[in-house]
Amino acid sequence: MDRRTFARGMCLGGAATFALPMVRFAQVPGDGKLVFVLLRGGFDGLAAVVPLGDPDYVKIRGSMAFEASDVAALEDGFGLAPGLAPLRSVWEDDELVVLHAMAIPYRTRSHFDGQAILETGLSRLQGSSDGWLNRLLQIMDGERSGIAVAAGMPRSLSGPHPVASWSPAQLGAVDDPYLDRLAVLYRADRRLHDRFEAALQLRELASGMESGGAGPQAGRGRVAPVMTAAARFLREPGGPNVAALEFSGWDTHANQGMAGGQLDRLLGQLSEGLLTFRTEMGDAWRDTTVVVMTEFGRTARPNGTRGTDHGTAGAGFVLGPRVARSAVVTDWPGLGERALYQDRDLNPTLDTRAVLKAAIAGTFDLTGAQADRVFPGSNDVRGLWTLMR
Amino acid sequence: MNERLRALNRFGLGARIGEVEELDAPRRWLHDQVDAAPSDDGGDDLPTVREIGAAFSGLREAQRSRSEDAIADARRGLRELVATEVSAAFARRVRSERPFVERLVAFWSNHLCVSASSKQQVAAFAGHYERTAIRPHVLGRFEDLVMASAKHPAMLFYLDNFQSIGPDSLAGRRSARGGNARGLNENYARELLELHTLGVDGGYGQDDVEALARILTGWTVAGVGPAARDGETMRFAFRPILHEPGAKTVLGTSYGGGSRRRGGGVEEGEEAIRDLCRHPSTARFVATKLVRHFVSDDPPGEAVERVAGVFQESRGDLREVAHAVVELDEAWTTRHRKFRPPQEWLVAVLRAFRVEEVPERAPGVLRQLRHSLWAPPSPKGYEDTQGPWSDPDALMNRAELARSIARPMRIRDPRVVLSVIEVEDGDPLHDALGDPSIPVRDRVALGIGGPTFQWR
Repeated sequence: MDRRTFARGMCLGGAATFALPMVRFAQVPGDGKLVFVLLRGGFDGLAAVVPLGDPDYVKIRGSMAFEASDVAALEDGFGLAPGLAPLRSVWEDDELVVLHAMAIPYRTRSHFDGQAILETGLSRLQGSSDGWLNRLLQIMDGERSGIAVAAGMPRSLSGPHPVASWSPAQLGAVDDPYLDRLAVLYRADRRLHDRFEAALQLRELASGMESGGAGPQAGRGRVAPVMTAAARFLREPGGPNVAALEFSGWDTHANQGMAGGQLDRLLGQLSEGLLTFRTEMGDAWRDTTVVVMTEFGRTARPNGTRGTDHGTAGAGFVLGPRVARSAVVTDWPGLGERALYQDRDLNPTLDTRAVLKAAIAGTFDLTGAQADRVFPGSNDVRGLWTLMR
Repeated sequence: MNERLRALNRFGLGARIGEVEELDAPRRWLHDQVDAAPSDDGGDDLPTVREIGAAFSGLREAQRSRSEDAIADARRGLRELVATEVSAAFARRVRSERPFVERLVAFWSNHLCVSASSKQQVAAFAGHYERTAIRPHVLGRFEDLVMASAKHPAMLFYLDNFQSIGPDSLAGRRSARGGNARGLNENYARELLELHTLGVDGGYGQDDVEALARILTGWTVAGVGPAARDGETMRFAFRPILHEPGAKTVLGTSYGGGSRRRGGGVEEGEEAIRDLCRHPSTARFVATKLVRHFVSDDPPGEAVERVAGVFQESRGDLREVAHAVVELDEAWTTRHRKFRPPQEWLVAVLRAFRVEEVPERAPGVLRQLRHSLWAPPSPKGYEDTQGPWSDPDALMNRAELARSIARPMRIRDPRVVLSVIEVEDGDPLHDALGDPSIPVRDRVALGIGGPTFQWR
């Protein structure tokens, strides 16, 4: 597969964009890459990033409290759950920021509203708003593109800026008169033709990957193969600037488990995926930032079925060489009875958008004003600029 | 616009070759389907609650015996039971002579969805759930539909209510004394409000969710969960020992406590569910979803008002509501089109060619298209807008499937496909299907895999 094929696949915007392939590289807004990983279902921040130093932690978590010996210590009394312990290596390289007591700006315990708020980057629900990643592509200058490496198009990337999608299920042959004829039919459908064109291009790229023996490895967690595929798209010169990935299964209402349990296995897959991604990116990792977020945290106390119910604030991560240094960033509200939000959830003290603004500004060298525009109506939310170099 | 094709495709499950010519009065045809006597549940040969329960106790016994062969056998038995339900339900959609009613079954089944991918028990009961809790009520009263859903083991398992315990119930206090406190699970209560009745903006708060969860404690499945006795058939049971005593307030209405005997009973939950179903927010929420399903991803406000009005005035009579949906002018214009989700697409393909026997690989195809029967990724059910189904990957999947479906077909003239879809004059499909330089099977594949077939 050559570079032009790839560029064509990624730019569905119309003929003008590939008329000048040689000029294109001069227009690329730096070499920054941003990966947004959405953990759908509300992942339990208190079980992932353990506030061991909080005097009320053991009392409030009860039978679901970790012992200090189970946890990979970070700083300020916080530590990573066993499944996330492999991320210690990223921490030691000064490439891991852990966020805590963070929440979207809208108080809801609905998965669907929460995800919509996080993915649109707005402060309240609005019918059919664009995703914030799409808005980011809209405000950036020059040639830029986005890809969903997921089964389906995540809301975060939806909007008028054309984007591509690819799911690991799709692999196959290239020369194919049937598909060429089908492409002719699709060109007459204004609502679908961009999408089908993208499918053809991605298929070409994927088959190139296959013949290189680079297919997703079997017998591993489900996160790593998807992250591997993402890395292969992103590290390509002229490849996408932003990618949206998503993983579900975090809605642990019952039998959440401790070390080796349900949630911990998922966390293990997530660490494995992130580490694999870092390796696969090779040199391109230098300019890459990965943001991991979820729609809400979970209740501070376990529920009656050894799980946790929908809560409010939770944890998240920013990874990559462009972070200023490894740190646990939080204005910790505490877990005392009176510190909880509505007497049940970790109290939110950090707006997801403050983190996202800093991450995009640091990755793409945007000004604060440009970052603000990606999140309309958020001028009162200051970006956490110190997060990034 | 062709009214006949519109009736067959937008409200039905896809026109069959030759069917358009037979259809004289499209709207009448739809109304008649709604007015006809309810058909049976089609479950004569399908597993009963007793058989599903027996399959589970078989598995439990096998696990106790630790014989690997016995466990494998029992697991296979359960898998076969699920496969039987899936192919029966799919065959029903493919063969139905009342396709509009089948669409309503699928709609309500998705509105009150359970997901077989969540728990083994849900997988085993999902088909039974659609046959016995959804199907009999889709032209009945909404509150009976929701009630049947609330009391079906599939839902009780899916959203965890079967294991929810009132903290102050007898069982709750006993477990606390034993140092192993178990308690409330608000999963079902929340989704009942958010997804089944009022909708997320319907005007309830966290207190209402918790109170409703307390009201519904004790709603469980016999034979499993807390307070189970050996040898019981797995069906709905109300267990007073799990039920939270005292008064609870949902949306300003008080349930339980007061003059009632201590601890209340199953009627507390029944009253609460009926009240939620009669709430004005419910009428709006349900009407919006119906209009989105039958008219447009972006439901026109006036159409929603009309359907909500009929819902409210008829006190949730879904037969009246179905008639009102057929009479929406917005559904009969070329302004609004809907993208066929994968299940509808595959059913339409099979119906178009009058394939009566459902291919064995149909469940695998639906899995590949991320639209297996009763397996949505969340309690919200499968999405009902174009977005999630028409990304590049999904279109390519359909293209490849169209090719493999068309390969074994024996069609003399691929242009018959033009008779089952609304094709505009300038559509290049006309030329492609008549192009003798293209192999016939590729032309058929272009017909069903091309963009025009994807719309209804």
